[in-house]
Amino acid sequence: MNITASARAFEGKTAFTEACGLGTGPVPLEPYRSPEFFERERVQVFERAWLLVGREEEIPAYGDYFSTELLPGGVSAILNRGKDGRIRAFYNTCSHRGSQVLDGPTGNARRIVCPYHNWTYAADGDLISIPDEASFFAVDKKRCGLTQMATETWEGWIFVNLQRQPEVDLRTFLGDFADRLAGVPYVAADKPIVLKADLDANWKVVQDAFIESYHIPAIHKKTIAQTFSSSENRFARLLDARTFGPHRTVSMYGNPTMPLDERNKVEMLAYASGDTGSLIAAGTSSQMAEFLDHPAVNPTRAGCWSMDVNNLFPNTQIDFGPGGFWVHQFWPLTPTTSRYEVRFYVPDALNARQRLQQELYVARVIEVVLEDLANVARTQRGINSSGKDEMQLQDSEVGIRHSVEQLLKWVEAETVTEALA
Amino acid sequence: MSGAARLPQAFAELEPFVDSWGSHTTAGRLAARCERSMDEIRVFYEAMCARAEEAIGYVDRFGLDDLPDDARNLMALVLGLAQAHVAIEIHGQPRAPGTPWPNSIRIARGLPFLG
Ligand code: FES
Ligand SMILES: [Fe+2]
Repeated sequence: MNITASARAFEGKTAFTEACGLGTGPVPLEPYRSPEFFERERVQVFERAWLLVGREEEIPAYGDYFSTELLPGGVSAILNRGKDGRIRAFYNTCSHRGSQVLDGPTGNARRIVCPYHNWTYAADGDLISIPDEASFFAVDKKRCGLTQMATETWEGWIFVNLQRQPEVDLRTFLGDFADRLAGVPYVAADKPIVLKADLDANWKVVQDAFIESYHIPAIHKKTIAQTFSSSENRFARLLDARTFGPHRTVSMYGNPTMPLDERNKVEMLAYASGDTGSLIAAGTSSQMAEFLDHPAVNPTRAGCWSMDVNNLFPNTQIDFGPGGFWVHQFWPLTPTTSRYEVRFYVPDALNARQRLQQELYVARVIEVVLEDLANVARTQRGINSSGKDEMQLQDSEVGIRHSVEQLLKWVEAETVTEALA
Repeated sequence: MSGAARLPQAFAELEPFVDSWGSHTTAGRLAARCERSMDEIRVFYEAMCARAEEAIGYVDRFGLDDLPDDARNLMALVLGLAQAHVAIEIHGQPRAPGTPWPNSIRIARGLPFLG
Protein backbone atom coordinates (compact mmCIF):
# COMPACT_ATOMS: atom_id res chain seq x y z
CA MET A 1 0.00 0.00 0.00
CA ASN A 2 1.50 3.35 -0.89
CA ILE A 3 0.72 6.64 0.77
CA THR A 4 -1.67 7.82 -1.95
CA ALA A 5 -3.71 4.64 -1.88
CA SER A 6 -4.06 4.68 1.88
CA ALA A 7 -4.93 8.38 1.86
CA ARG A 8 -7.90 7.47 -0.30
CA ALA A 9 -8.80 4.64 2.05
CA PHE A 10 -9.38 7.06 4.92
CA GLU A 11 -12.06 8.91 3.01
CA GLY A 12 -14.46 6.02 3.46
CA LYS A 13 -15.31 4.12 6.57
CA THR A 14 -13.42 1.20 8.09
CA ALA A 15 -15.26 -1.95 9.21
CA PHE A 16 -12.95 -3.65 11.69
CA THR A 17 -15.59 -4.13 14.37
CA GLU A 18 -17.86 -6.22 12.15
CA ALA A 19 -14.90 -8.03 10.60
CA CYS A 20 -13.82 -9.10 14.11
CA GLY A 21 -17.33 -10.45 14.73
CA LEU A 22 -18.13 -7.94 17.45
CA GLY A 23 -21.39 -6.14 18.15
CA THR A 24 -21.75 -2.41 17.60
CA GLY A 25 -23.91 -1.38 20.58
CA PRO A 26 -22.86 0.62 23.64
CA VAL A 27 -20.47 -1.08 26.11
CA PRO A 28 -20.99 -1.19 29.92
CA LEU A 29 -18.92 1.00 32.26
CA GLU A 30 -19.64 -1.01 35.40
CA PRO A 31 -16.47 -3.15 34.95
CA TYR A 32 -14.46 0.08 35.21
CA ARG A 33 -15.69 1.06 38.69
CA SER A 34 -17.41 -1.83 40.47
CA PRO A 35 -15.64 -3.41 43.50
CA GLU A 36 -17.60 -6.64 42.87
CA PHE A 37 -16.42 -6.85 39.28
CA PHE A 38 -12.88 -6.08 40.42
CA GLU A 39 -12.92 -9.05 42.77
CA ARG A 40 -14.30 -11.44 40.15
CA GLU A 41 -11.76 -10.16 37.64
CA ARG A 42 -8.96 -10.89 40.13
CA VAL A 43 -10.07 -14.46 40.69
CA GLN A 44 -11.39 -15.38 37.26
CA VAL A 45 -8.91 -13.53 35.06
CA PHE A 46 -5.66 -12.72 36.88
CA GLU A 47 -5.54 -15.97 38.83
CA ARG A 48 -6.25 -18.09 35.72
CA ALA A 49 -4.60 -16.40 32.73
CA TRP A 50 -0.92 -16.70 31.83
CA LEU A 51 0.75 -13.43 32.86
CA LEU A 52 3.86 -12.06 31.17
CA VAL A 53 6.62 -11.19 33.66
CA GLY A 54 9.82 -10.62 31.68
CA ARG A 55 12.33 -11.90 29.16
CA GLU A 56 14.82 -14.76 29.28
CA GLU A 57 17.70 -12.40 28.46
CA GLU A 58 17.20 -10.70 31.82
CA ILE A 59 18.43 -13.83 33.63
CA PRO A 60 21.09 -15.33 31.34
CA ALA A 61 23.28 -17.14 33.92
CA TYR A 62 22.96 -19.73 36.68
CA GLY A 63 21.63 -17.99 39.81
CA ASP A 64 20.39 -14.85 38.03
CA TYR A 65 16.98 -13.79 39.28
CA PHE A 66 14.41 -11.05 39.21
CA SER A 67 11.45 -10.64 41.49
CA THR A 68 8.07 -9.32 40.53
CA GLU A 69 4.81 -8.47 42.20
CA LEU A 70 1.74 -9.99 40.63
CA LEU A 71 -1.14 -7.68 41.25
CA PRO A 72 -3.92 -7.33 42.26
CA GLY A 73 -3.26 -10.19 44.69
CA GLY A 74 0.09 -8.67 45.62
CA VAL A 75 1.74 -12.07 45.08
CA SER A 76 5.51 -11.74 45.22
CA ALA A 77 7.26 -14.09 42.80
CA ILE A 78 10.89 -14.94 42.00
CA LEU A 79 12.01 -15.95 38.53
CA ASN A 80 15.48 -17.48 38.32
CA ARG A 81 17.77 -19.70 36.28
CA GLY A 82 18.98 -22.96 37.80
CA LYS A 83 22.27 -24.83 37.49
CA ASP A 84 20.55 -26.93 34.82
CA GLY A 85 19.85 -23.77 32.78
CA ARG A 86 16.12 -24.01 33.39
CA ILE A 87 13.99 -21.00 34.29
CA ARG A 88 11.81 -21.52 37.35
CA ALA A 89 9.29 -19.42 39.22
CA PHE A 90 8.77 -19.52 42.99
CA TYR A 91 6.48 -17.90 45.48
CA ASN A 92 8.76 -15.54 47.41
CA THR A 93 7.91 -17.18 50.73
CA CYS A 94 10.16 -19.04 53.17
CA SER A 95 9.17 -22.53 54.33
CA HIS A 96 10.11 -21.64 57.91
CA ARG A 97 7.87 -18.73 58.94
CA GLY A 98 6.98 -17.21 55.65
CA SER A 99 9.40 -14.31 55.19
CA GLN A 100 10.19 -13.20 51.67
CA VAL A 101 13.46 -14.91 50.84
CA LEU A 102 14.75 -12.43 48.26
CA ASP A 103 14.48 -8.66 48.62
CA GLY A 104 15.95 -6.91 45.60
CA PRO A 105 14.36 -6.56 42.17
CA THR A 106 17.29 -8.32 40.41
CA GLY A 107 20.53 -10.09 41.29
CA ASN A 108 22.42 -13.36 41.32
CA ALA A 109 21.87 -15.98 44.04
CA ARG A 110 23.08 -19.55 43.49
CA ARG A 111 22.10 -20.11 47.10
CA ILE A 112 18.95 -18.36 48.28
CA VAL A 113 19.38 -17.47 51.95
CA CYS A 114 16.31 -16.27 53.82
CA PRO A 115 17.27 -13.08 55.68
CA TYR A 116 15.17 -13.94 58.78
CA HIS A 117 16.88 -17.11 60.16
CA ASN A 118 19.16 -18.11 57.28
CA TRP A 119 17.29 -21.11 55.94
CA THR A 120 19.15 -21.81 52.71
CA TYR A 121 17.77 -23.00 49.38
CA ALA A 122 19.41 -24.07 46.12
CA ALA A 123 18.56 -22.20 42.92
CA ASP A 124 16.19 -25.03 41.99
CA GLY A 125 14.25 -24.36 45.21
CA ASP A 126 15.42 -27.37 47.25
CA LEU A 127 15.97 -26.67 50.93
CA ILE A 128 19.66 -27.27 51.66
CA SER A 129 20.15 -26.33 55.27
CA ILE A 130 18.41 -25.26 58.46
CA PRO A 131 20.52 -23.54 61.15
CA ASP A 132 20.25 -25.50 64.44
CA GLU A 133 18.24 -28.19 62.74
CA ALA A 134 18.56 -30.37 65.88
CA SER A 135 16.13 -28.12 67.75
CA PHE A 136 13.35 -28.72 65.21
CA PHE A 137 11.04 -31.70 65.24
CA ALA A 138 12.13 -33.94 62.39
CA VAL A 139 11.44 -31.44 59.60
CA ASP A 140 11.12 -33.28 56.29
CA LYS A 141 13.55 -31.11 54.28
CA LYS A 142 12.45 -32.70 51.00
CA ARG A 143 8.97 -31.28 51.48
CA CYS A 144 10.23 -27.84 52.49
CA GLY A 145 11.62 -26.46 49.25
CA LEU A 146 10.36 -23.14 47.92
CA THR A 147 6.88 -23.47 46.44
CA GLN A 148 7.06 -23.48 42.67
CA MET A 149 4.79 -21.35 40.53
CA ALA A 150 3.82 -22.53 37.05
CA THR A 151 6.06 -20.89 34.45
CA GLU A 152 6.60 -21.30 30.72
CA THR A 153 8.40 -19.36 28.03
CA TRP A 154 7.43 -18.47 24.49
CA GLU A 155 9.69 -16.60 22.03
CA GLY A 156 11.89 -15.51 24.93
CA TRP A 157 8.98 -14.12 26.97
CA ILE A 158 8.54 -15.58 30.44
CA PHE A 159 5.00 -16.13 31.74
CA VAL A 160 3.63 -17.38 35.06
CA ASN A 161 0.25 -18.79 36.01
CA LEU A 162 -1.24 -18.59 39.50
CA GLN A 163 -3.18 -21.83 39.10
CA ARG A 164 -1.13 -24.47 40.89
CA GLN A 165 -1.93 -26.84 38.03
CA PRO A 166 -2.73 -24.59 35.02
CA GLU A 167 -5.81 -25.79 33.16
CA VAL A 168 -4.23 -24.98 29.80
CA ASP A 169 -0.59 -24.66 28.80
CA LEU A 170 0.84 -21.38 27.54
CA ARG A 171 0.74 -22.43 23.88
CA THR A 172 -2.97 -23.22 24.10
CA PHE A 173 -3.60 -19.93 25.87
CA LEU A 174 -1.79 -17.98 23.12
CA GLY A 175 -3.45 -19.95 20.32
CA ASP A 176 -3.19 -18.42 16.82
CA PHE A 177 -1.52 -15.34 18.21
CA ALA A 178 1.61 -17.41 18.87
CA ASP A 179 1.76 -18.39 15.19
CA ARG A 180 1.34 -14.84 14.01
CA LEU A 181 4.15 -13.54 16.20
CA ALA A 182 6.47 -16.54 15.79
CA GLY A 183 10.03 -15.60 14.93
CA VAL A 184 9.87 -11.86 15.56
CA PRO A 185 13.48 -10.90 16.44
CA TYR A 186 13.64 -8.88 19.65
CA VAL A 187 16.67 -6.60 19.37
CA ALA A 188 18.54 -5.51 22.53
CA ALA A 189 16.09 -7.46 24.68
CA ASP A 190 18.54 -7.69 27.58
CA LYS A 191 18.45 -3.97 28.33
CA PRO A 192 15.05 -2.70 29.31
CA ILE A 193 14.51 0.89 30.39
CA VAL A 194 11.67 0.65 32.89
CA LEU A 195 9.22 3.41 33.78
CA LYS A 196 6.52 2.91 36.41
CA ALA A 197 3.62 5.02 37.56
CA ASP A 198 0.77 4.50 40.00
CA LEU A 199 -2.35 5.93 38.45
CA ASP A 200 -5.75 7.05 39.71
CA ALA A 201 -7.67 4.93 37.23
CA ASN A 202 -8.89 1.37 36.79
CA TRP A 203 -6.27 -0.66 34.90
CA LYS A 204 -8.63 -0.96 31.90
CA VAL A 205 -9.03 2.82 31.61
CA VAL A 206 -5.25 2.97 31.22
CA GLN A 207 -4.95 0.00 28.87
CA ASP A 208 -7.74 1.39 26.68
CA ALA A 209 -5.77 4.62 26.25
CA PHE A 210 -2.95 2.62 24.65
CA ILE A 211 -4.99 0.60 22.16
CA GLU A 212 -6.66 3.40 20.24
CA SER A 213 -5.11 6.30 18.34
CA TYR A 214 -8.37 8.30 18.21
CA HIS A 215 -7.28 10.36 21.25
CA ILE A 216 -3.84 11.23 19.95
CA PRO A 217 -4.68 14.39 17.93
CA ALA A 218 -6.52 15.76 21.00
CA ILE A 219 -4.42 14.67 23.99
CA HIS A 220 -0.96 14.55 22.44
CA LYS A 221 -1.27 17.57 20.20
CA LYS A 222 2.31 18.80 20.58
CA THR A 223 4.13 15.60 21.42
CA ILE A 224 3.11 12.91 18.91
CA ALA A 225 -0.01 14.04 16.99
CA GLN A 226 2.10 14.76 13.91
CA THR A 227 3.34 11.19 13.93
CA PHE A 228 -0.06 9.51 14.19
CA SER A 229 -2.33 11.68 12.06
CA SER A 230 -2.18 13.91 8.99
CA SER A 231 -4.45 15.86 6.70
CA GLU A 232 -5.27 12.55 4.94
CA ASN A 233 -6.18 10.84 8.20
CA ARG A 234 -7.15 13.58 10.62
CA PHE A 235 -8.62 11.29 13.26
CA ALA A 236 -5.82 8.72 13.21
CA ARG A 237 -8.02 5.89 11.92
CA LEU A 238 -6.55 2.41 12.15
CA LEU A 239 -4.79 0.58 9.33
CA ASP A 240 -5.80 -2.84 10.60
CA ALA A 241 -7.37 -4.69 13.53
CA ARG A 242 -7.67 -8.41 14.20
CA THR A 243 -8.56 -10.63 17.12
CA PHE A 244 -7.04 -13.97 18.10
CA GLY A 245 -9.13 -15.60 20.82
CA PRO A 246 -8.77 -13.26 23.82
CA HIS A 247 -5.77 -11.47 22.25
CA ARG A 248 -5.80 -8.74 19.63
CA THR A 249 -3.66 -6.57 17.41
CA VAL A 250 -4.23 -3.14 15.88
CA SER A 251 -1.99 -1.40 13.38
CA MET A 252 -1.82 2.38 13.54
CA TYR A 253 -1.41 4.95 10.82
CA GLY A 254 1.54 7.33 10.94
CA ASN A 255 4.22 9.36 9.31
CA PRO A 256 7.29 7.19 8.81
CA THR A 257 9.74 10.04 9.41
CA MET A 258 9.70 12.92 11.80
CA PRO A 259 9.59 16.28 10.00
CA LEU A 260 12.55 18.28 11.28
CA ASP A 261 11.97 21.93 12.12
CA GLU A 262 15.13 23.96 11.51
CA ARG A 263 14.30 26.32 14.35
CA ASN A 264 14.56 23.43 16.79
CA LYS A 265 18.26 23.43 17.58
CA VAL A 266 18.31 20.29 19.71
CA GLU A 267 16.26 18.29 17.24
CA MET A 268 18.65 19.37 14.47
CA LEU A 269 21.66 18.58 16.63
CA ALA A 270 20.39 15.05 17.28
CA TYR A 271 18.95 14.11 13.92
CA ALA A 272 20.19 16.42 11.17
CA SER A 273 22.98 14.02 10.24
CA GLY A 274 20.38 11.56 8.89
CA ASP A 275 19.36 8.36 10.68
CA THR A 276 16.17 10.02 11.88
CA GLY A 277 14.20 6.78 11.98
CA SER A 278 11.01 7.91 13.61
CA LEU A 279 9.91 10.02 16.47
CA ILE A 280 9.50 6.87 18.48
CA ALA A 281 12.70 5.23 17.30
CA ALA A 282 15.88 4.96 19.27
CA GLY A 283 17.63 2.18 17.37
CA THR A 284 19.24 2.59 13.97
CA SER A 285 17.53 1.56 10.76
CA SER A 286 20.06 -1.13 9.89
CA GLN A 287 19.47 -3.04 13.14
CA MET A 288 15.79 -3.00 12.44
CA ALA A 289 15.75 -4.41 8.90
CA GLU A 290 15.10 -8.01 9.93
CA PHE A 291 12.54 -6.97 12.51
CA LEU A 292 10.67 -4.76 10.03
CA ASP A 293 10.65 -7.61 7.51
CA HIS A 294 8.51 -9.83 9.74
CA PRO A 295 4.94 -10.19 8.40
CA ALA A 296 3.40 -9.32 11.79
CA VAL A 297 5.29 -6.01 11.87
CA ASN A 298 3.39 -3.35 9.90
CA PRO A 299 1.09 -6.15 8.64
CA THR A 300 -0.58 -4.09 5.91
CA ARG A 301 2.85 -2.97 4.64
CA ALA A 302 1.62 0.61 4.78
CA GLY A 303 4.02 3.39 3.83
CA CYS A 304 2.33 5.49 6.49
CA TRP A 305 2.64 3.29 9.56
CA SER A 306 3.47 4.35 13.11
CA MET A 307 3.08 1.24 15.27
CA ASP A 308 1.29 -2.03 16.02
CA VAL A 309 -0.23 -2.85 19.38
CA ASN A 310 -0.16 -6.56 20.17
CA ASN A 311 -2.41 -6.94 23.17
CA LEU A 312 -1.84 -10.19 25.06
CA PHE A 313 -4.82 -10.89 27.26
CA PRO A 314 -5.33 -9.69 29.88
CA ASN A 315 -2.87 -6.87 30.64
CA THR A 316 0.18 -6.81 28.35
CA GLN A 317 0.90 -4.96 25.13
CA ILE A 318 3.95 -5.81 23.02
CA ASP A 319 4.21 -2.89 20.61
CA PHE A 320 6.14 -2.74 17.35
CA GLY A 321 7.34 0.47 15.74
CA PRO A 322 9.90 1.57 13.12
CA GLY A 323 12.52 1.68 15.89
CA GLY A 324 11.87 -1.66 17.55
CA PHE A 325 9.57 -3.02 20.24
CA TRP A 326 8.41 -1.96 23.69
CA VAL A 327 6.06 -3.37 26.30
CA HIS A 328 3.28 -1.84 28.35
CA GLN A 329 1.68 -3.59 31.32
CA PHE A 330 -1.35 -2.56 33.32
CA TRP A 331 -1.73 -4.05 36.79
CA PRO A 332 -4.88 -3.62 38.90
CA LEU A 333 -4.35 -2.20 42.40
CA THR A 334 -7.90 -1.29 43.47
CA PRO A 335 -11.12 -0.81 41.47
CA THR A 336 -10.02 2.76 40.69
CA THR A 337 -6.21 2.66 40.82
CA SER A 338 -3.57 0.75 38.90
CA ARG A 339 0.14 0.40 38.28
CA TYR A 340 1.46 1.14 34.82
CA GLU A 341 4.81 -0.19 33.63
CA VAL A 342 6.52 0.41 30.33
CA ARG A 343 9.74 -1.20 29.14
CA PHE A 344 11.79 0.06 26.23
CA TYR A 345 14.62 -1.94 24.77
CA VAL A 346 17.47 0.17 23.51
CA PRO A 347 20.82 -0.95 22.09
CA ASP A 348 24.01 0.51 23.60
CA ALA A 349 24.77 3.94 22.19
CA LEU A 350 27.92 3.87 20.07
CA ASN A 351 28.68 7.57 20.31
CA ALA A 352 27.59 10.81 21.95
CA ARG A 353 25.04 11.77 19.30
CA GLN A 354 23.27 8.40 19.49
CA ARG A 355 23.17 8.72 23.24
CA LEU A 356 21.55 12.14 22.85
CA GLN A 357 18.96 10.62 20.47
CA GLN A 358 18.13 8.02 23.11
CA GLU A 359 17.78 10.71 25.75
CA LEU A 360 15.42 12.67 23.51
CA TYR A 361 13.41 9.51 22.97
CA VAL A 362 13.07 8.77 26.68
CA ALA A 363 12.33 12.42 27.47
CA ARG A 364 9.51 12.53 24.92
CA VAL A 365 8.05 9.21 26.00
CA ILE A 366 7.79 10.50 29.55
CA GLU A 367 5.91 13.58 28.32
CA VAL A 368 3.48 11.40 26.35
CA VAL A 369 2.86 9.19 29.38
CA LEU A 370 2.29 12.29 31.52
CA GLU A 371 -0.35 13.49 29.10
CA ASP A 372 -2.05 10.09 29.28
CA LEU A 373 -1.75 10.02 33.06
CA ALA A 374 -3.63 13.29 33.49
CA ASN A 375 -6.21 12.05 31.01
CA VAL A 376 -6.93 8.68 32.65
CA ALA A 377 -7.47 10.24 36.08
CA ARG A 378 -9.99 12.64 34.56
CA THR A 379 -11.72 9.74 32.79
CA GLN A 380 -11.95 7.66 35.96
CA ARG A 381 -13.49 10.55 37.92
CA GLY A 382 -16.10 10.90 35.18
CA ILE A 383 -16.88 7.18 35.22
CA ASN A 384 -17.08 7.12 39.04
CA SER A 385 -19.75 9.83 39.08
CA SER A 386 -22.28 7.25 37.75
CA GLY A 387 -23.67 9.81 35.35
CA LYS A 388 -23.26 7.23 32.61
CA ASP A 389 -23.63 3.46 32.58
CA GLU A 390 -22.24 2.81 29.13
CA MET A 391 -19.80 4.13 26.57
CA GLN A 392 -20.09 4.62 22.82
CA LEU A 393 -17.23 3.11 20.83
CA GLN A 394 -16.26 3.81 17.23
CA ASP A 395 -14.56 1.51 14.76
CA SER A 396 -11.00 2.58 15.68
CA GLU A 397 -11.80 1.68 19.29
CA VAL A 398 -12.43 -1.93 18.34
CA GLY A 399 -9.63 -3.10 20.66
CA ILE A 400 -11.49 -1.72 23.67
CA ARG A 401 -14.72 -3.40 22.63
CA HIS A 402 -12.95 -6.72 22.26
CA SER A 403 -11.17 -6.30 25.60
CA VAL A 404 -14.42 -5.76 27.51
CA GLU A 405 -16.14 -8.61 25.66
CA GLN A 406 -13.35 -11.02 26.57
CA LEU A 407 -13.15 -9.93 30.21
CA LEU A 408 -16.91 -10.45 30.63
CA LYS A 409 -16.53 -13.88 29.07
CA TRP A 410 -13.64 -14.90 31.37
CA VAL A 411 -15.44 -13.60 34.45
CA GLU A 412 -18.47 -15.77 33.63
CA ALA A 413 -16.66 -18.87 32.36
CA GLU A 414 -16.34 -21.78 34.77
CA THR A 415 -13.20 -23.11 33.15
CA VAL A 416 -10.37 -21.58 31.15
CA THR A 417 -11.20 -23.92 28.30
CA GLU A 418 -14.71 -22.50 28.25
CA ALA A 419 -13.31 -18.94 28.36
CA LEU A 420 -11.08 -19.71 25.38
CA ALA A 421 -13.79 -21.48 23.37
CA MET B 1 32.55 24.25 46.23
CA SER B 2 36.31 24.29 45.82
CA GLY B 3 36.19 26.03 42.47
CA ALA B 4 38.09 23.18 40.83
CA ALA B 5 37.18 22.83 37.16
CA ARG B 6 34.65 20.12 36.48
CA LEU B 7 34.56 20.55 32.72
CA PRO B 8 37.34 20.41 30.13
CA GLN B 9 39.17 23.75 29.97
CA ALA B 10 37.74 24.65 26.54
CA PHE B 11 34.19 24.54 27.96
CA ALA B 12 34.89 26.60 31.09
CA GLU B 13 32.05 29.06 30.42
CA LEU B 14 29.54 26.22 30.95
CA GLU B 15 30.70 25.59 34.55
CA PRO B 16 27.73 27.50 36.07
CA PHE B 17 25.35 24.91 34.55
CA VAL B 18 27.03 21.82 36.00
CA ASP B 19 25.12 21.99 39.27
CA SER B 20 21.75 22.82 37.73
CA TRP B 21 21.68 20.75 34.52
CA GLY B 22 24.59 18.32 34.82
CA SER B 23 22.96 15.56 36.87
CA HIS B 24 24.28 12.10 36.02
CA THR B 25 20.76 10.64 35.86
CA THR B 26 17.86 11.20 33.50
CA ALA B 27 15.57 11.68 36.51
CA GLY B 28 17.84 14.44 37.84
CA ARG B 29 17.90 16.28 34.52
CA LEU B 30 14.13 15.90 34.19
CA ALA B 31 13.67 17.45 37.62
CA ALA B 32 16.02 20.29 36.63
CA ARG B 33 13.68 21.25 33.81
CA CYS B 34 10.42 20.72 35.71
CA GLU B 35 11.55 22.92 38.61
CA ARG B 36 12.75 25.87 36.52
CA SER B 37 11.15 28.84 34.84
CA MET B 38 11.10 29.23 31.08
CA ASP B 39 13.65 32.05 31.34
CA GLU B 40 16.10 29.87 33.25
CA ILE B 41 15.62 27.02 30.83
CA ARG B 42 16.23 29.31 27.89
CA VAL B 43 19.53 30.63 29.30
CA PHE B 44 20.86 27.07 29.50
CA TYR B 45 19.39 26.12 26.13
CA GLU B 46 21.08 29.00 24.29
CA ALA B 47 24.44 28.66 26.03
CA MET B 48 24.58 24.89 25.62
CA CYS B 49 23.31 24.77 22.05
CA ALA B 50 26.10 27.18 21.08
CA ARG B 51 28.73 24.64 22.21
CA ALA B 52 26.88 21.33 21.76
CA GLU B 53 28.36 20.29 18.42
CA GLU B 54 31.89 20.88 19.79
CA ALA B 55 30.99 19.08 23.03
CA ILE B 56 29.83 16.02 21.10
CA GLY B 57 33.07 16.08 19.12
CA TYR B 58 35.10 16.34 22.33
CA VAL B 59 33.29 13.44 24.02
CA ASP B 60 33.67 11.22 20.96
CA ARG B 61 37.47 11.44 21.19
CA PHE B 62 37.01 8.93 24.00
CA GLY B 63 34.75 5.87 24.18
CA LEU B 64 31.47 6.45 26.02
CA ASP B 65 32.39 3.74 28.52
CA ASP B 66 35.85 5.21 29.04
CA LEU B 67 35.24 8.90 29.70
CA PRO B 68 37.42 11.00 32.00
CA ASP B 69 35.37 12.78 34.71
CA ASP B 70 35.38 16.18 33.02
CA ALA B 71 34.19 14.75 29.69
CA ARG B 72 31.50 12.79 31.53
CA ASN B 73 30.25 15.99 33.16
CA LEU B 74 30.23 17.64 29.75
CA MET B 75 28.22 14.75 28.29
CA ALA B 76 25.69 15.10 31.11
CA LEU B 77 25.19 18.71 30.04
CA VAL B 78 24.67 17.61 26.42
CA LEU B 79 21.97 15.25 27.69
CA GLY B 80 20.46 18.11 29.68
CA LEU B 81 19.56 19.54 26.28
CA ALA B 82 17.00 16.75 25.81
CA GLN B 83 15.06 18.23 28.71
CA ALA B 84 15.50 21.81 27.53
CA HIS B 85 14.18 20.55 24.17
CA VAL B 86 10.98 19.34 25.83
CA ALA B 87 10.25 22.80 27.26
CA ILE B 88 11.49 25.02 24.42
CA GLU B 89 10.82 22.96 21.30
CA ILE B 90 7.70 21.00 22.30
CA HIS B 91 5.56 22.55 25.01
CA GLY B 92 6.56 26.23 24.88
CA GLN B 93 6.36 26.06 28.68
CA PRO B 94 8.36 24.14 31.31
CA ARG B 95 5.96 21.18 31.56
CA ALA B 96 3.20 19.57 29.50
CA PRO B 97 -0.07 21.50 29.95
CA GLY B 98 -2.27 20.15 32.74
CA THR B 99 0.31 17.69 34.06
CA PRO B 100 1.28 17.62 37.74
CA TRP B 101 4.73 18.15 39.27
CA PRO B 102 5.89 16.22 41.14
CA ASN B 103 4.19 13.23 39.51
CA SER B 104 4.09 9.49 40.06
CA ILE B 105 6.29 8.46 37.12
CA ARG B 106 9.46 6.73 38.29
CA ILE B 107 12.40 5.73 36.13
CA ALA B 108 12.80 2.29 37.70
CA ARG B 109 15.67 1.37 35.38
CA GLY B 110 17.37 4.04 33.27
CA LEU B 111 19.69 3.90 30.28
CA PRO B 112 22.97 2.21 31.19
CA PHE B 113 25.18 5.29 30.66
CA LEU B 114 24.23 8.51 32.54
CA GLY B 115 20.62 7.27 32.61
S1 FES C 1 11.37 -17.17 57.97
FE1 FES C 1 12.90 -17.75 56.59
S2 FES C 1 14.43 -18.56 57.88
FE2 FES C 1 12.86 -18.04 59.27
FE1 LIG D 1 -2.03 8.42 24.75
